[in-house]
Amino acid sequence: MSTILQLLVSGIMLGGIYAVMSIGLTLIFGVLKIVNFAHGEFLMLAMYAAWAVVSATGMTTYTAMAVVTPLLFCFGLLVYLLIVRPGIEKPHLVVVFATMGLSIAMQNLALVAMTADLRDVAPLFGGTPIKFGPLYFRVELLLGFLISIAITLALMMFVKRTYIGKAIRATVQDRDAAMLMGINVPRLFLLTFAGGSALVGIAGCIMLPLYSTFPTVGLNFVLIAYVVVVLGGMGSMEGAFLGGICIGIVQSLSGYYVAPAYGQMFYFLIFLLVMIFRPNGLLGQRGAAMVGINE
Amino acid sequence: MIAGRLSAVSGVQAISLSIAPRRGAVSLVEIAVLASCIIAAAVVSNRYAVDIMIRTFLWAGLALAWNIAGGYAGLISFGHAAFFGIGAYTSTILLLNFGVPPWFGMFAGALIAACAGALLTRVCARLRGPLFILSTLAAGEVVRIAALNWRSLTGGPEGLEIPPVPNVVDMVFKSQWPYVAIIVAYMLAMFALSAWIEQTRYGYYLFATRDNEDGASAIGINPSHTRTAAMALSAATTAIGGTLFAQYFLYLDPTHVISPDISFQFALICAVGGLGTASGPVFGALIIVPLSELLRGLLSQSTSGLHLVIYGIIVIVVILYFPSGVSGAIGRTVSRFFPAGGFAARVQTEKYDAQA
Repeated sequence: MSTILQLLVSGIMLGGIYAVMSIGLTLIFGVLKIVNFAHGEFLMLAMYAAWAVVSATGMTTYTAMAVVTPLLFCFGLLVYLLIVRPGIEKPHLVVVFATMGLSIAMQNLALVAMTADLRDVAPLFGGTPIKFGPLYFRVELLLGFLISIAITLALMMFVKRTYIGKAIRATVQDRDAAMLMGINVPRLFLLTFAGGSALVGIAGCIMLPLYSTFPTVGLNFVLIAYVVVVLGGMGSMEGAFLGGICIGIVQSLSGYYVAPAYGQMFYFLIFLLVMIFRPNGLLGQRGAAMVGINE
Repeated sequence: MIAGRLSAVSGVQAISLSIAPRRGAVSLVEIAVLASCIIAAAVVSNRYAVDIMIRTFLWAGLALAWNIAGGYAGLISFGHAAFFGIGAYTSTILLLNFGVPPWFGMFAGALIAACAGALLTRVCARLRGPLFILSTLAAGEVVRIAALNWRSLTGGPEGLEIPPVPNVVDMVFKSQWPYVAIIVAYMLAMFALSAWIEQTRYGYYLFATRDNEDGASAIGINPSHTRTAAMALSAATTAIGGTLFAQYFLYLDPTHVISPDISFQFALICAVGGLGTASGPVFGALIIVPLSELLRGLLSQSTSGLHLVIYGIIVIVVILYFPSGVSGAIGRTVSRFFPAGGFAARVQTEKYDAQA
């Protein structure tokens, strides 16, 4: 009994981490209607940046967030201006292939600059887990989970309450109508892409203590992020959180009861089932599945 | 636009000859390029150069196969490595366990891959754009993980090895020239198939479905059947390429053969060369494969991976600034010098021009 409870709780916490990693992707998809195929490499960059800050100054990754998040914001800005903006009015293929080229270039640049060695940071409190009743938690996992809840709530408040948030929701629903209502859609695109990248910066800082970083670390996680985003419904932040937790639980249970190797297979199968029966995701906008239909 | 295309459908014309690459025609430029490929294959004897040539032509054939789904039908698939792997594994398993020669085994692989491709298209029938792409990526990963864990059949992560005993029946040769001949034949067959599709009624159905699905179904085309058939054909021809890959390298493992990187490579070669044309994938492979092999050779002493950085940057620049690819650029240049050829490069540029 306590095994199942332990697995469920760790799964939920892992899911929180996955949610943070995916929330930037879902935001960008909802507003810009593009998938950033270099998302995993943004995460890799964030993890390396966090590692560099930690090993240069000796602070924890959580304080390094103050440096890494603005850095990723600027990087997102740059990528948007150089690669996404020239392609966004063209057929969706152009952005798909351009971001894919970016992903290959970044991955191998990291290989050239940092070699294939694993980089990690020392665990907090010497790696002793916290005991809570019959359950054990890794400190980093618990902290990551709490931060992910805080970020999801903050983003939901931001989208509901502020003017930019309202503009984002309007653009998600109908880009043309939003533009006619006087929303500066191109600037909103810029802000969303950079903001989504900044969220990846936060995710990188949370994930560095849990996983070590290496040049192809992004590929492992970006596939999970796609599953999470599609499961929750592309463009939905609550959906990303829910989707993250579902995948976390699936991974944790299947890793224990079946085999870790098949765990991945399970969530890809879930992904395909969602695509067949509920292509808009659990909480997604209507018609999201039809986006990019040759227009 | 549809009406214009359908008037051409009314009588299926013979493949016509033009100077620049153009849809539904075989051009002088293409004939020159393919002829020089054959001559190079016959003349060059340096082992390293021949190896690069084999890889280039194999990738050209595979990219042409991908292009049937990705370029003609608009079904951008990042899961084609699964079909590639199905082809490679089916013929190899049949050879190792049952002694079936790969000459027949490759058609068994093609059949299985065609069924898998048709199934995937049916399953994802409602999806478009990014969601379709992500679904194919997921399907490819399912096949990779299955191959990785089904040890009794696929040998798991250690992979399968074809004994390097030269034997014509087993499609294993000591010298390189039979491989060159087989793979050039594969590339030429794929090119001929693509050029033929472009000017058949079915090809026009595909273009109509890709460019305007509602319009296509309004004039009596069944978009679902058209797409499914394109994906099945693309998967089957990719699987045959997979068998040739297995016979040339004589070693298979899931991590390298069914990796998403392979699928991305198919797509990127087509994107650089020019999507939706018969010449694009050939041009793309002729540029990208030797370039990355040569860069790898030149730069490997200093740093590994640098050649792929350059490769990634080339992809970004080409796709953003020459969206009709090398093929479209060649078409435009040639028709500027030979306006008497009469035709502007119509390769896939119509859509981009309309958007620009």
